[in-house]
Amino acid sequence: MLDRLVGLTMLIAASAVFLYYTIWTLFMPFVDEDHPLHTLFPPRVWAIRIPVILILLFTTVVGSFLSVVMIRSNRRKALKAKAKKAN
Amino acid sequence: MTRAQQTISIALLLSSLYLACFLGIVPFSPKIQDEIVPVIPFWALVTFGAYLLFKLGYGVFTFNDVPEAHKELMTQIQQARTELKAKGVDVGTD
Repeated sequence: MLDRLVGLTMLIAASAVFLYYTIWTLFMPFVDEDHPLHTLFPPRVWAIRIPVILILLFTTVVGSFLSVVMIRSNRRKALKAKAKKAN
Repeated sequence: MTRAQQTISIALLLSSLYLACFLGIVPFSPKIQDEIVPVIPFWALVTFGAYLLFKLGYGVFTFNDVPEAHKELMTQIQQARTELKAKGVDVGTD
């Protein structure tokens, strides 16, 4: 039951994000400045800034995780080589 | 043609088409050129992410329980544990 709920939440979230972002970036430029619809959307610069910030955040997290794992693995390999040499 | 080659060639095609639009080689009305064309790669990225999330959510939503496979898997795990334990492997506690 819970997993179906999670799946449904992901479905709805994905559709909502897609719809909102599509209207924001592709349709709002053609809507007149004084139309009340503009109150639903932040200034369009943010349509670029938010994805860029998310991309940078994502690459930071993935890169840090990768580097931690590689450093740990190299340290273990160096320890093993040193132990083998000592034998 | 491998999958990678296919993906790279399609990506290259779309990139060159977009570059032609971005550099003004393809004529658009000034409003489209200034406000829509620069936004298209970000829109494509967000759409791709939303599509992947949708596909994931749909898979999770429609995945039904498989009780027989679960039972079979549990018996196989039990068999593996007994066999390995007989050979001296530490199989831990359940």
